[in-house]
Amino acid sequence: MRPSLKTSFTAMLAALVTPAALVAQLGSPNPLPGPQGTVAIVNARIVPVSGAVIERGTLVMSGGKITAIGANVAVPAGAQTIDGVGKSVYPGMMDAATQMGLTEISQGAAPTVDNNEVGSFNPNAIAYYAMNPHSAHVGVTRVVGVTHVLSHPSGGVIAGQGTLANLAGWTPAAMTIRQRAVLVITIPRAGGGGFGFAQFGGGGGANAATAQRTREAQVDSLRAMLADARAYDKAVQANAATANVRLAALVPYVRGELPVMFVADAAADIRTAVEFAAAEGLKAIIVGGREALRVADLLKEKNVPVIFTQLRAMPGREDDPFDVNFATPGQLASAGVRFAMSAGDDGPQVRDLPSMAGMAAAYGLSREDALRSVTIWPAQIMGLGDQLGSLEVGKMANVVVTDGDLLEARTLVTHLFIDGRPVPLDSRHTVLFETHKDRR
Amino acid sequence: MTTRSMRTLRAALFVAVAAPTLAAQGGTSAAPRAMLIRNATVLTVTKGTLNNTDVLLENGRIARIGQNLTAPAGAEVYDGTGKYVMPGIIDPHSHMMSDAVNEGTLSVTSMVRIADVLNPTAPNVYRALAGGVTMINILHGSANTIGGQSATVKLKWGRPTSEMLVANAPPGIKFALGENVTRKGRNTMPGAPEARYPTTRMGQEEVIRDAFTRARTYQAEWARYNAAARGRNGAGVIPPRRDLELEPLVEILEGKRFVHAHTYRADETMMLLELATEFGFKVRTLQHALEAYKIAPEIRAAGASMSTFADSWGYKIEAYDAIPYNVAITVRAGVISTINSDSDERIRRLNIDAAKMMRYGGLTEDEALATITINGAWQVGLEARTGSIEVGKEADIGIWNGHPFSVYSRVERTIIDGEVFFDRQEDERQRAAMAAERAELERAEPNTAPAPRGGQRPGTPGGNR
Amino acid sequence: MHLLSCATTARLATLTATLAVTLAPPLGAQGDRPTPSTYAITNARLVPVSSAPIERGTIVIRDGLIVAIGASVSAPADARIVDGTGLTVYPGLIDAYSTLGMRAPAAGQGGGFGGGGGFGGGAPVARPAGAPNSTMPIGLQPEVRAFDQLVENSDFSAAHAAGITTALTAPSGRVYEGQSALISLGSGDFSAVAIRTPVALHVGFQGIGGGQFPGSLMGVFAALRQSLLDAQQYRTVHAAYARNPRAVRRPALDPSMEALQPVIAGTMPVVFRASTQREIERALDLAKEFALKPIIAGGTEAYRVVDRLKAANAPVLFSLNFPRRTAAPAAPAAPGAAAPSAEPEPIRVLRDRVQAPKTAGQLQAAGIRFALQSGGGAYTEFLPNLRRAVEGGLAADAALRALTLGSAELLGAADRLGSLEAGKIANLTVVRGDLFASDARVTSVYVDGRPQTIAAPTVAAGPGGPGGPGGPGERRPGLEGAWTMTVELEGVEKQATLTISTMDDRLVGRIEGDFGSTEVAEVVVMEDGTVRFGVLLTMKETSEEALFRGKLTDGVFAGTIDMIGHASGRFAGLRVASTTQER
Repeated sequence: MRPSLKTSFTAMLAALVTPAALVAQLGSPNPLPGPQGTVAIVNARIVPVSGAVIERGTLVMSGGKITAIGANVAVPAGAQTIDGVGKSVYPGMMDAATQMGLTEISQGAAPTVDNNEVGSFNPNAIAYYAMNPHSAHVGVTRVVGVTHVLSHPSGGVIAGQGTLANLAGWTPAAMTIRQRAVLVITIPRAGGGGFGFAQFGGGGGANAATAQRTREAQVDSLRAMLADARAYDKAVQANAATANVRLAALVPYVRGELPVMFVADAAADIRTAVEFAAAEGLKAIIVGGREALRVADLLKEKNVPVIFTQLRAMPGREDDPFDVNFATPGQLASAGVRFAMSAGDDGPQVRDLPSMAGMAAAYGLSREDALRSVTIWPAQIMGLGDQLGSLEVGKMANVVVTDGDLLEARTLVTHLFIDGRPVPLDSRHTVLFETHKDRR
Repeated sequence: MTTRSMRTLRAALFVAVAAPTLAAQGGTSAAPRAMLIRNATVLTVTKGTLNNTDVLLENGRIARIGQNLTAPAGAEVYDGTGKYVMPGIIDPHSHMMSDAVNEGTLSVTSMVRIADVLNPTAPNVYRALAGGVTMINILHGSANTIGGQSATVKLKWGRPTSEMLVANAPPGIKFALGENVTRKGRNTMPGAPEARYPTTRMGQEEVIRDAFTRARTYQAEWARYNAAARGRNGAGVIPPRRDLELEPLVEILEGKRFVHAHTYRADETMMLLELATEFGFKVRTLQHALEAYKIAPEIRAAGASMSTFADSWGYKIEAYDAIPYNVAITVRAGVISTINSDSDERIRRLNIDAAKMMRYGGLTEDEALATITINGAWQVGLEARTGSIEVGKEADIGIWNGHPFSVYSRVERTIIDGEVFFDRQEDERQRAAMAAERAELERAEPNTAPAPRGGQRPGTPGGNR
Repeated sequence: MHLLSCATTARLATLTATLAVTLAPPLGAQGDRPTPSTYAITNARLVPVSSAPIERGTIVIRDGLIVAIGASVSAPADARIVDGTGLTVYPGLIDAYSTLGMRAPAAGQGGGFGGGGGFGGGAPVARPAGAPNSTMPIGLQPEVRAFDQLVENSDFSAAHAAGITTALTAPSGRVYEGQSALISLGSGDFSAVAIRTPVALHVGFQGIGGGQFPGSLMGVFAALRQSLLDAQQYRTVHAAYARNPRAVRRPALDPSMEALQPVIAGTMPVVFRASTQREIERALDLAKEFALKPIIAGGTEAYRVVDRLKAANAPVLFSLNFPRRTAAPAAPAAPGAAAPSAEPEPIRVLRDRVQAPKTAGQLQAAGIRFALQSGGGAYTEFLPNLRRAVEGGLAADAALRALTLGSAELLGAADRLGSLEAGKIANLTVVRGDLFASDARVTSVYVDGRPQTIAAPTVAAGPGGPGGPGGPGERRPGLEGAWTMTVELEGVEKQATLTISTMDDRLVGRIEGDFGSTEVAEVVVMEDGTVRFGVLLTMKETSEEALFRGKLTDGVFAGTIDMIGHASGRFAGLRVASTTQER
């Protein structure tokens, strides 16, 4: 079934903007969402995620929130009605580890890559300030039903802060759910001997001893910076501080109010991160997590969740079973480790998130958990569990209407709502398709 | 599960057991045991979907398709109830199982051959089998305008190279256009002092034109020699020097060798199609061809086909206009189209990549299935032998526990020429066996820890390591 | 083509000796003592190999030749008597493939890797010595001869300590390594030590480097094929010219093509370095294509291809450089324990180590002809590994034959070497006890009739071993083992473990970690110490060939990575801690 210009909002937009203009720019102005109105999707199969599936029911959203769900819900007067026969309604999916909007073309177009600031300690580098709402990645991702993401910088020891954003909005402010949402830390690698390049002092004249000392110095610097931030916090409260942008940035994290994402895949690195966070009083999240199973007991004991980006990583060892990474989410679930699925992509392939979750269900994760792993679980991990991730009254109306199972590759999204606004299903790709499809 | 244990598996199932560590790899084994798959949903690709149907595999071929078939004596009977049978997946673009991928020192390296450097023991072969792939076209990399000769291989895990190369497969060769070849920003081959020509798409045209011009000269030289050798003074005529660079190019001119050309941008594709037309040959496949949708009618007119990613895009400048509707447009324009992986990772899930073609542009199920089966067979010249489930074809089959286009499905068995090379249950069993074997091997003397560093070794040689 | 027949050699030796005596100053003036030229080892157990052992007898050698051997032979009057009680005398052991006596490659100046944008400019990488006036690039010159690169008075003491008196030696090169020579491991210049030259043309399978074709293994095969075709063409053209030189332009005279003539005629064998099954198959395929006479050197996986070896009648120069564990096995992680320091090894590696001592016995059982070589391993391991092979199933007399007469047969010198027979070259290995007993000790070796002092047994150093000049330490600068690598590509840092190990006399490897697991077919060490290898890396959705090149400096293995379509990346690696006590 070809994507068609379904909603009236999109039709209006199509009249305003020609395809040529859309494709001429790097990134495309993704079509503007419509206004928040009152919308009822009737007679649809509703999958709330937080509760039982409603085989035939109605969902109402108004003013950006879900206002009613049920088998026998009355449609408010004046509501726009969408016929849900043969359709399914899901909460919008979330990818909690992307770099959406921070890069456009990762190879060969360096000026479009803004995800990695120079220097090892950048707590005040916030994704919000480099996120391009008109990135082509935004449009092509949301049309599969990924409605909100965490976008975060990378690199160094403290890469910066990630921003939680809806994938709709004309400006960064309009997109943003939470500007400063997580701190991103990569601890210079521990036991096992791997060393980041910063520890080689720039590469020239490096040797094992220097690398070791540099690594220790970096870890010490990290600890010192966190200690400084705690001291700064106290000083601010006592009105005795000189303003310091970088330390101020760290305060919510050292207080444990907001989570800290530690990038770690190897078991040793995960362990180091969890122990470090415990020692420093930080609320930890592991991102990556390829060998999380080996550290499952510790993760469970310290209640550290994992944003698992490594489903499709090739088995790291020659003798690994072929499905070692496919099977990990199912095994994490059995082991009681909290996790969410993520594409772990900087932008263009975040739209593959549903396929990944589905594949995890082919290899041991239950289908229900697979759906949770891209909806409610990432929301909870990011502290958004009361706003997003399921279809419940009072939550933000990020709603996806499909003609089938949300995680299946053949499924089409027929309607999309973000923050209660209808989002046209056009993107750079649909526009290029329309432009060229009839040429003979 | 890897190399040696899979060999042990096959030994256990089908052939008299040789000592596992001595598994001599000489000739082909005896004809595989017949297999009757009962009561499955059969996705033939070319002749529709058959429900509750049996498929008999015998002597390496698809022998019968029908209902309530009788199993011949000695055949394995496989209960296919609830299962899906489809042709083995074909990947037209892979660099797997090769000890080298690029000979990047020259712009024209038509004399090199992938077949010379195959490594059949690469574990990723097994991992691809677990994704239902039975045959791949292994290509030279994209370092050069004219690259090396390709190899068509069936993933017969545990067998030597000679058994994996598909016998009598039409030969192919790789071309490459665009950014990888011009190497902007890093023009030198490691160790070389200066930039290698060409550094622009203009230069790429010249390289190809020059190569085929030389090939024509060479072809004429040999034609003259052959005529003279047949004449009265034939015995005394000395043949021209054989030139391994030009011979494959002459084969292209004579329509005897397939060209698989890596290309992204529509204009560079047009350059190649026009040049090929001028020199009188067709391009068999355009690889990647992420902008094929912009010139689908031209590709059709030139008699070329295309092989592309399902939905990868945006990772480099020449990939920025890629769209997942590419295949839908080219298929509607009548261009034979396939999905490929160009990746040891992606090859494992080509079934889902093909499924995406139904959502992106509305291909039918059979059209989408064709992009990972029969069309790929055509692209390597083997469509008469494999790529669909039809009586008489080679028994290259995948058995799935659900529809292969569902993300929830996985492969139960992968069969090549009627032999099982991947079986999910056997894979599970082997894990325990490997763990036990490992424990035993760790205890063996050659695997025990070396003497502590700095310690004095006892004077007796041969006593300890 | 022989430079000198053996008879001439013997006469020349006698002449030289006579001249030396005639021309030397009067004894008293210099205080020299003349060294004896006649020895008799009495009362020893003698193992001639060509006939049954003699439990107690005497062997007499004079002027570099064996003069007499038997139970009732008596020592001549001019003989220095050596009491052989408790000793066994064997024909001098032959190392069937080495680089002993070869000139060490010139130290390089620059070249190698640079920062950022690839490899520009700089001095060219040092290469093996090339042949003069060659039309082919260095590394592709079949006319290079070991004989021309022999170094006077090389130190062979490590080989002697292992009982080795004779060796096939070949230059190290890239594609055509050169023509080998069979040499006596004695003092003196090239004309004195050479027994037979050339013996065979040696083919390695490494790209020639410097950004020149061929750079990859594919290119190597294409270059080999083209050169062999060109050699055939050369033969045709020159034969035609010889028949009738009038009115035809004279064809070019090409030393490389000349050198290939006996090769394509099948009169000079070709030694192919090949260890794995696929390498052996490739070599045999190429030999078949051009009707060459193949010999396989290395042969770790020869047991997998016995049928093909037999069909090709290809002998094996089998390497005794058995793989060994260099790191402690991974300790199972105790709860709360520090992270395990070493990764578990692939089961394939464990199997290969257990298989190695069994292979020679299996080759013997299958009727494959073979000789034994050191395979670039430390000479201190040569006899221990020999004994392991015997424990693993190789019959002791087959083992001995493969070190002596059998080896001489394969190397074309059985008429003058390899057994204790009157008239043969007096290369002897003298052992206290039996060579195959675990407490045996080489007490002396005789090379061309002169006894060589054996140094006391030393503690072998770490990986790479001392080996002596031409031994492994020189060619593998401490690279073996596991390295934790940080790889930076396009601003993204990834981690992988690179494990380098020996297979016969080459380095191979594997990479495990963030890029999945992948095999490195060969790790090449250039003459200037640059290490390079290519490997297919899979990152996210793509697989790309990555060319690594770097150097080992101060315990850090670092350098750059080139991938088509990407900006250059870089890597740096440190050794994985090999015992749990560390750090």
